[in-house]
Amino acid sequence: MTSNEILDLLFSTLRTTGVWNFQFNIIIMWAIGSLFIWLAIAKKYEPLLLLPIGFGIFIVNFPLVPMMGYTEGHPHLIEFFYHYGLEWEIIPCVIFLGLGAMTDFGPLIANPKTLIIGAGAQLGVFITFTGTVLAGFTLKEAASVGIIGGADGPTTVYLTQHLAPQLLGANALAAYSYMAMVPLLQPPIMRLMTNSKERVIKMRQLRAVSRQEKILFPLITAGIIALLVPSVIPLMGMFMLGNLMKESGVVARLTDTAQSSLMNIVTIFLGLSVGATMHADKFLSWKPLFIFGLGLVDFAVCTVGGILTVKIMNKFLKEKINPLIGAAGVSAVPMAARVVQMEGIKYDKSNHMLMHAVGPNLAGVIGSAAAAGMFIAMFD
Amino acid sequence: MKRLILLTTMFCFLLPGAVAAQSVPEDFLGVPVPESKEIKRTQKRLEVMSPKSHDEVLGYYKDKLEGMEDIKIRDWSDQSYIEDDSNRPWHSITIDKEPTDGKTRVVIMKDNWTWIIGTLLLRYVGVFVVLLVLLIGMTVSGKIISSRVEKPGEKK
Repeated sequence: MTSNEILDLLFSTLRTTGVWNFQFNIIIMWAIGSLFIWLAIAKKYEPLLLLPIGFGIFIVNFPLVPMMGYTEGHPHLIEFFYHYGLEWEIIPCVIFLGLGAMTDFGPLIANPKTLIIGAGAQLGVFITFTGTVLAGFTLKEAASVGIIGGADGPTTVYLTQHLAPQLLGANALAAYSYMAMVPLLQPPIMRLMTNSKERVIKMRQLRAVSRQEKILFPLITAGIIALLVPSVIPLMGMFMLGNLMKESGVVARLTDTAQSSLMNIVTIFLGLSVGATMHADKFLSWKPLFIFGLGLVDFAVCTVGGILTVKIMNKFLKEKINPLIGAAGVSAVPMAARVVQMEGIKYDKSNHMLMHAVGPNLAGVIGSAAAAGMFIAMFD
Repeated sequence: MKRLILLTTMFCFLLPGAVAAQSVPEDFLGVPVPESKEIKRTQKRLEVMSPKSHDEVLGYYKDKLEGMEDIKIRDWSDQSYIEDDSNRPWHSITIDKEPTDGKTRVVIMKDNWTWIIGTLLLRYVGVFVVLLVLLIGMTVSGKIISSRVEKPGEKK
């Protein structure tokens, strides 16, 4: 071999490395990915999702890595998960199956008027839509950004994939980040929106709910959603199937699989796929930053909406509801309900509101799904 | 002679204005406008009457807007409604199905905040309606089941 051939060989080898194709903007993405990994591990903020998302961001932002995209028509590893899991909208629905299998709707069934709180807490979704359109986003993008305030990860992923898949990474990251920060974000809003007299309102203990009611609930809910908002039945149908499996008590193996192994598997693929959509070339623009900022406002207004709804309801109810539980109308289950409990006992140690707050918390899941269905119907 | 010159001069000034009032811009807010006579025009709205039939006008727009993303064509009972779901400067094109004096009315509208706010309010109320129906369903089923569960206990 001549020296020229050797040099040629060396250079051609070098050109196939990431070092040769390095771009400085990917360093920013490494920092962002690392930040989310740190938040997951050190701060324990939604680690089940932020860890794989953070790693997905990190690993996909290296030059020439065959992780997302196609080579000769064959999908790369994460592209495969993304295509079949997210583009086909399978993963959010399977996550809802697992969530339904973990959920006890007893507090909601015992006090169904808390469903109205779940509806009221969607206020921020629609207000943010308006603000996002004013900022120059398309109507579909605005709808996908608006749903972030509902604080429901799978619903956000489902709607964004449906309407504005180019924003999936930013929207999902915003939604899960704010869900993790519920204990930080909500208490100041709750204190601002309520007075000392309202915070100590004690509510009657919830009635016992029979097994028959718990079995009927998923069937009634699935039927009503299918009739009124059919576009969102893939999500809500799976949610109700999971719950029916749990409440029936006759398919313990299936329930156990749905709420543990299956959930864990799809959570890994969801986080990794969402993170992998955030390549520097697509992510580093004003839109993701704006989405993060607006997502915070969205979430705050949703909290305000829930509390205001309770205050309006109290004008008509003989038995008053503690407005603090309005903050649980955002569907960050069960964190928002726990925050209500912690805030409540600060003002009255004997006022345990956890079970009362679970009702609107679960209503928020149904409410945000209904809001998502309304947006899908808007563009169909 | 002087009168003739004066009349001719006035005619030369008035004629372009008259022609402009009759002629229709080739596009309005980026939307092509079919052969038509302008009826009313503001910064946000253009109303024209086209000698073409409804189907011809609709076909014209389908042809011109072909390949554009986020365009929806809705077939209503009395109109065809072409809607933009992205962020183009125009929001909608309405084509009447019933001709007026043998002509088809076409209306092109800019960003329609009335539509945006109106549809948002409607959909927010829609969320309440869905959950209210669910509330009623749960309350009724709860009462039925509670009474059936109580009845065997009472008999004992």
